[in-house]
Amino acid sequence: MSHETNSHDGHAHGHVIVSLFTLRTILALLLFFTLLTVGAALAEQWIASTFSVVIPQWINVAVAISIATVKTVLVVMFFMQLKYDSPMNTLIFVFTVLTAAFFLGFTALDLGGRNTLERFKAQYAIPGGTGLGGDNIPITTQARNKAIAAGTYDPHHDHHDHHGAQSITNAGYLQPKPEKGSDGNFSRPVKGVTIPGLPGYIAPKDNHGHDDKSEKSEKSPAGH
Amino acid sequence: MASIQADPHGAHPPAEDLSRPYHERYHAAHHFKSRDHEFDSVKMGVWLFLGTEILLFSGMFVAYAIFRMMHPEAFIAGSGKLSVGWGLLNTIVLLLSSYTVAAAVRHAQTNNQKWLRINVLLTFFAGLAFLLIKFVFEYWPKYSEGKLPGKFYSYPYSTSEYEPLWWAIYWGATSIHASHVIIGMGLFAWIWLRARKQHFGPGHYNAVEGVGLYWHIVDIVWIFLFPLLYLIH
Repeated sequence: MSHETNSHDGHAHGHVIVSLFTLRTILALLLFFTLLTVGAALAEQWIASTFSVVIPQWINVAVAISIATVKTVLVVMFFMQLKYDSPMNTLIFVFTVLTAAFFLGFTALDLGGRNTLERFKAQYAIPGGTGLGGDNIPITTQARNKAIAAGTYDPHHDHHDHHGAQSITNAGYLQPKPEKGSDGNFSRPVKGVTIPGLPGYIAPKDNHGHDDKSEKSEKSPAGH
Repeated sequence: MASIQADPHGAHPPAEDLSRPYHERYHAAHHFKSRDHEFDSVKMGVWLFLGTEILLFSGMFVAYAIFRMMHPEAFIAGSGKLSVGWGLLNTIVLLLSSYTVAAAVRHAQTNNQKWLRINVLLTFFAGLAFLLIKFVFEYWPKYSEGKLPGKFYSYPYSTSEYEPLWWAIYWGATSIHASHVIIGMGLFAWIWLRARKQHFGPGHYNAVEGVGLYWHIVDIVWIFLFPLLYLIH
């Protein structure tokens, strides 16, 4: 453009130039927080195994996510210069993050309520996937059987479990919660179709007479 | 070329002094009022694109959240088979590369051509180092041991029935991220070639800024992937 003259040259157009000192300070902080998050993970395991306490899994997640968030704020504000930039770009960023938070939030709401089933809805429950492979054998078992058949399976295999903390897992995490006042039967989906009249309907077990065999014999489409 | 522009007064534009570097001669595209106007618009466009990138990865993180809440034991079993050391090293490599990008932008702003080129090149090689570590020490051993997603899984020593699900998340998330690193390296190669021709300086560094922002987002995704994949227990 003709009105754009030499007067602009040699300057960064009034753009903020972040000093190398600031950039290096931010880099040092980022590296520090990286080591901190690894240290925190190791410390949690050490505390759990040394004092044989159970640390709930959400603490592990909360610490890791908090540190990652601090690192992200540093990168976004100084490396990506949102601190000095037009507020519009910050707005775009913040709204995107909020959207992502909505995705996660509603997912959590859904999953949090998965294992509780209102008594009045129990009859409509249709169980989901079984997690089984094509032959109704878990993929992991299939892999093991293949290795045994091929003669490559080592029963004394070291599992390379770097964390060595299997025992502290799962603490209070998504355990099935029986509804208050119920007999607990509704805390897990019943296998098979639970709506009377539909093909594949299996009458609910009444915990008294039926064993597994009699339940299987009922699996044929029931027209009663 | 920017020099071929309609002149409102009908006269030919003055002959350009080609001895001056490109970034000084640079004119904004005709639909922008000025180079500043163009710079701000380009930057906002990049930020909008980064918004879609965040949403792309958020899908991956939601899948992670769902499957981890459903099968926490599978995630712990699978995470235990990753090496924290390589993950940590790659985190440090990416953080250093984020610094070199930010420094490259600064050197473009201050017309320090030599250090602009050096920093762009360093970023390129940091991306290369990240991928080499990833492929040689992580992807290849896991692939050859059969630690693969779903029906491709053939590792016989699993400790959890749902471990193939964990490997689906691991391979899905890290490979989408790695493909972003590969694309970023291509962009930095392009930036470096242009920087050699002195395309960037105080008056014009849109591409350095834009690619830099993209690279920072790739770094941020890894900042979250590293603890979520490697540090679970």
